Amino acid sequence: MDKKYGAYICTGCGIGDTLNIEALSQVVTGEMGIKCCKTHSALCGKDGRALVEKDMHDEGVNTVVVAACSPRVMQDEFNFGSDKITNRVNLREQVVWCKGDDANPEFVQELASDYVRMGCTQAKKTELPEPYKQEVTNKRILVMGGGISGLTAAREASKAGYEVLLVEKNDALGGKAITWRKQLPTKAPWTTLETPSIHLLIKEVETDAKITVHTGSEVARISGAPGAYEVVLKPTDTTSEWDAPARVTVDQQDLITKGQMADPNAGVKNYMDSNPDALKVGAVVLATGWNPADVSEYEHLGYGKIKNVVTNFEFEQIASKGSIIRPSDGKPVQSVAFIQSPGAAENDKDFPYCNSVTSLVALKQAKYIREENAEAKAYILYQHMRTPGHMELFYKAAQNDDGIFLTKANVMSVNESGDGSLSVDITNTLLNEDITLHVDMVVLAAGMIPTTVAAPTINLAYRQGPAFLELELFDGYADSNFICFPYETRRTGIYTCGGVRKATTVEEAIDDATGAALKAIQCIESAERGVAVHPRSGDNSFPEFFFQRCTQCKRCTEECPFGALDDDEKGTPKPNPTRCRRCGTCMGACPERIIGFKNYNVDMIGSMVKAIEVPSDDEEKLRFAVFVCENDAYPALDMAGMRRLGINNLVRFIPVRCLGSVNMVWIKDALSAGMDGAMLLGCKFGNDYQCHFVKGSEIATKRMDNIGETLKTLGLEPERVAVREIAITDYNKIPEIVKDFVDSIVALGPNPFKGF
Amino acid sequence: MAEKMRVEPDLDFIRYMKSAGGDTLKKCYQCATCSVVCPLSSDKKPFPRKEMIWAQWGLKDKLIADPDVMLCHQCGDCTTNCPRGAKPGDVLGAIRAYAYIHFGFPQGIAKLASKGQNLPIMILIPAIIIGVMWALSGGMHIPAEGPVDFGRFFGHWDIHYLSKNVMFIDLIFVPTFFFALYAAFSGVSAMWTQMAAGLNANQAFRPSVIQFIMQFLWPSIVETIQHKRFNECGTNKNRVTGHLPLLLAFVGLLTVTAYSFIRKDIFGIFNPALHGPIALYDPFKILANVSAIAMIVGVGILWSNRSAAEEKKGISPTFYDWFLIGEIMAVGVTGLLAEIFRLINVPVLAYLFYFLHLVSVFMLFFYMPYTKFAHMVYRTFAMAFERYRSSEFVKN
Repeated sequence: MDKKYGAYICTGCGIGDTLNIEALSQVVTGEMGIKCCKTHSALCGKDGRALVEKDMHDEGVNTVVVAACSPRVMQDEFNFGSDKITNRVNLREQVVWCKGDDANPEFVQELASDYVRMGCTQAKKTELPEPYKQEVTNKRILVMGGGISGLTAAREASKAGYEVLLVEKNDALGGKAITWRKQLPTKAPWTTLETPSIHLLIKEVETDAKITVHTGSEVARISGAPGAYEVVLKPTDTTSEWDAPARVTVDQQDLITKGQMADPNAGVKNYMDSNPDALKVGAVVLATGWNPADVSEYEHLGYGKIKNVVTNFEFEQIASKGSIIRPSDGKPVQSVAFIQSPGAAENDKDFPYCNSVTSLVALKQAKYIREENAEAKAYILYQHMRTPGHMELFYKAAQNDDGIFLTKANVMSVNESGDGSLSVDITNTLLNEDITLHVDMVVLAAGMIPTTVAAPTINLAYRQGPAFLELELFDGYADSNFICFPYETRRTGIYTCGGVRKATTVEEAIDDATGAALKAIQCIESAERGVAVHPRSGDNSFPEFFFQRCTQCKRCTEECPFGALDDDEKGTPKPNPTRCRRCGTCMGACPERIIGFKNYNVDMIGSMVKAIEVPSDDEEKLRFAVFVCENDAYPALDMAGMRRLGINNLVRFIPVRCLGSVNMVWIKDALSAGMDGAMLLGCKFGNDYQCHFVKGSEIATKRMDNIGETLKTLGLEPERVAVREIAITDYNKIPEIVKDFVDSIVALGPNPFKGF
Repeated sequence: MAEKMRVEPDLDFIRYMKSAGGDTLKKCYQCATCSVVCPLSSDKKPFPRKEMIWAQWGLKDKLIADPDVMLCHQCGDCTTNCPRGAKPGDVLGAIRAYAYIHFGFPQGIAKLASKGQNLPIMILIPAIIIGVMWALSGGMHIPAEGPVDFGRFFGHWDIHYLSKNVMFIDLIFVPTFFFALYAAFSGVSAMWTQMAAGLNANQAFRPSVIQFIMQFLWPSIVETIQHKRFNECGTNKNRVTGHLPLLLAFVGLLTVTAYSFIRKDIFGIFNPALHGPIALYDPFKILANVSAIAMIVGVGILWSNRSAAEEKKGISPTFYDWFLIGEIMAVGVTGLLAEIFRLINVPVLAYLFYFLHLVSVFMLFFYMPYTKFAHMVYRTFAMAFERYRSSEFVKN
């Protein structure tokens, strides 16, 4: 594309009042060499847009610099079509609105000029991205697991017009939900238990022409990428040469090559091998469910020793077979204690993996007993009752039952008497007394352990291994942002739902599965269009590699948070653009700087940094480059501007896709250009990370530690580089964070290399 | 660790409570808003939160031994403010109703008086007794001639020292009165025993009868008559305007009855002239008429208050509550009508209402220990117990 530039400066919203627009225009036309530079008092208005469009029509302008408000606003007003490049310069929120009340006009003008320089440089360095298109996009959806979640996902995907491959390891569909006697209410008045809906669902799935069901089968491996997955199936509980290979790290591979370590993947095909018989699918819904937790570790509750102490899962099995009888002697049950929390020493804790499900199950099972026998008594001994949403009404209905007795309690012990009856000692009750209850049975609220705890389950043939990463962060649940992106995993194209995602009731699992099926469809359609699925939905750029200069250092394959990169025998990366989320972490990782996007690359940002004018003779005018994550930190900066909080005018903010994409050469560029400090402003990392790309801010922090060391060897203070974590709500802290950083550098004095 | 209580919920008790106005009791989720808003609840022994969970768990032994249940004046603040609609005030009312039956002696009559469906039998008993007495007396006709004289309802004989009418009235009411008194005493002492069992007080320090009356009972009676606690129930001002005249009317009528009893039945033996109706200008007659009107007005106010409360606050209508209101209204109205028809000399109606008045007065006394009227004795003794509980006798 032959680029023809046009720059447009808006003077509205106070920009013209604060800044010398004439001088700004001269920066554009002079040093930046863009001859077409116009101003308008309301560029976002009809007339303003007409001004730009006229130049496009008459002069052939196709690359536009809009120096006005934040790129986060007026996106439709400044969208001139997919064949035009638009670069926004944020003069409003980040210059005029955040300059502070008593700012030196000269400093503010310099700030604006630098942003204009950076915007023009960016326009020059950017190219129009072209989406990556696969030759064939397979649109079939693989659903793993034939329980309530898997069946629902399959049916919903089919209803939306997609073919489904449903794999169930057992010989029959239905999972665990098929063994439930009743299910929780799904409609008003939310008080009556319902006949399980799963039987109907199975019939629907079995008669659906779009759904192919494989029972008694497991997924040996899934290779490929969204839109082009290859799935190898095998009979349940067998091994196959096509099993997904275990992860082998670089160091382990060294040991294996030297013969010092056994190859864990002996007899298994390489992860890059392709099976010609593999089934082709476009996306995967993982609905492999859960396993009942083992509760025998709580010895005072007697599970495993006393026959009439059972788990909620076992109780459901008894109830679904007919009338409820004691396991020890088959006597009909008159009274049952439902123990919701282990009690004893750790008295406030619930059983692990219980979520709100065990509360609801206890209420449901108490109802079973009451419906069977009007004289029966059900005691529910809890630390927490969790009955979200409409289930509150079910809880109220159960509470209103004459024979259901609820109390918060610490269960101290369960003891058996000669005839098999049990006594339950409880303390700290609502009755303000220590109580002994005499019951026929005790039911323990065992949790639901996701299948991903015990095995990789998803069995990916990926460079980064067969399982989801860092499962330990969330007790074995696949990592995703629980609120913002509930069905996502660390593997694009693979979506979890139901018990494997969180402990859910049948009703929640149905909602969940529908959501996951829709995400799978979104993924397939995005893959076909060559755009990112999430969180940069619709982004049609993708990382390109200049392989001639690749040194096979494997940093990109190791650091990609989403396992998008595979590699060959030599270690040359093999990109899978449909797995990619376009965060640019690979670009930040690459020491050879061979990875970049058409509209976001090392050269572009480096050039923008170098475009900042660094006065070498004025100790007042220090310069700082701050690379800002555009997901949370940049909006926070805008908010600080909207609230006129006032931010130091010596600082130049440069938005980046993710701190993970920050290549350390930019820091070097900044410091060697004579700037006095560089900071990264991004998301929180660690256990409660907020990074949209999971690992970006964490990786960036490690890289910055390393560069600090390098600086030391150059005689520069490592304090000149820093990383700060902020949340999107921390906008009010930004002025302080920036000021502290600037003050600390002022104390160090200017960059000694200034002017060289 | 404290001694453990074996808990065995009584489902029948829960069902009874639900049928007796406590149908909402299971809704309570123990937030204790009720105990906070209750103007009578004390900091150390707050209620009715604890009573609510005892009731939910069907722990009737705990409830009937709990003086706090009796201390409640049912202002309805807890019911109004309950976020769950559990109506603690109604539940306490139902517990009291249960307690009166539980402690009632003899149990047969107590159970009879507990259910609305038994009302015809409850009316029939005094109607038959009085009717049979009337038949036995040989009255058996309505004296058509002369001014209406209730002194001749049971006929007339010429024994000067004891009029026939007085003898029959005494035959009916004196045993009834003492029977009711004994039944009330029996019930209250059973309640006291249950309550005292929970105190673990040293038996060596029991108060003497004089001490008991002076230190515990008398102050409670004074407090009752002053309506001190009733007035503390902020939302209860309307009920005080009904209940206070009603209570004073009862005191007035008790005085008149006592006067009449002494005048006619004791002095009358010696001076038969005292048997006739008391003159309208007699101070005691004035007191009687004023009291009768106060009673009708008082119970009328309570009647309309309760209707309004049922409509606005959603308080459940129960036989327990309405029996007493209806009963007192019946006593007042039949008495007044009998008097009016006597004065305007309509013998048929005058004697009919006199008969109905006798029946309703009989019912008031006879069923007192088992119906809501029993609160008169149970609550007074509960208040005495409350004083006793915090006195030196128990503390040491």
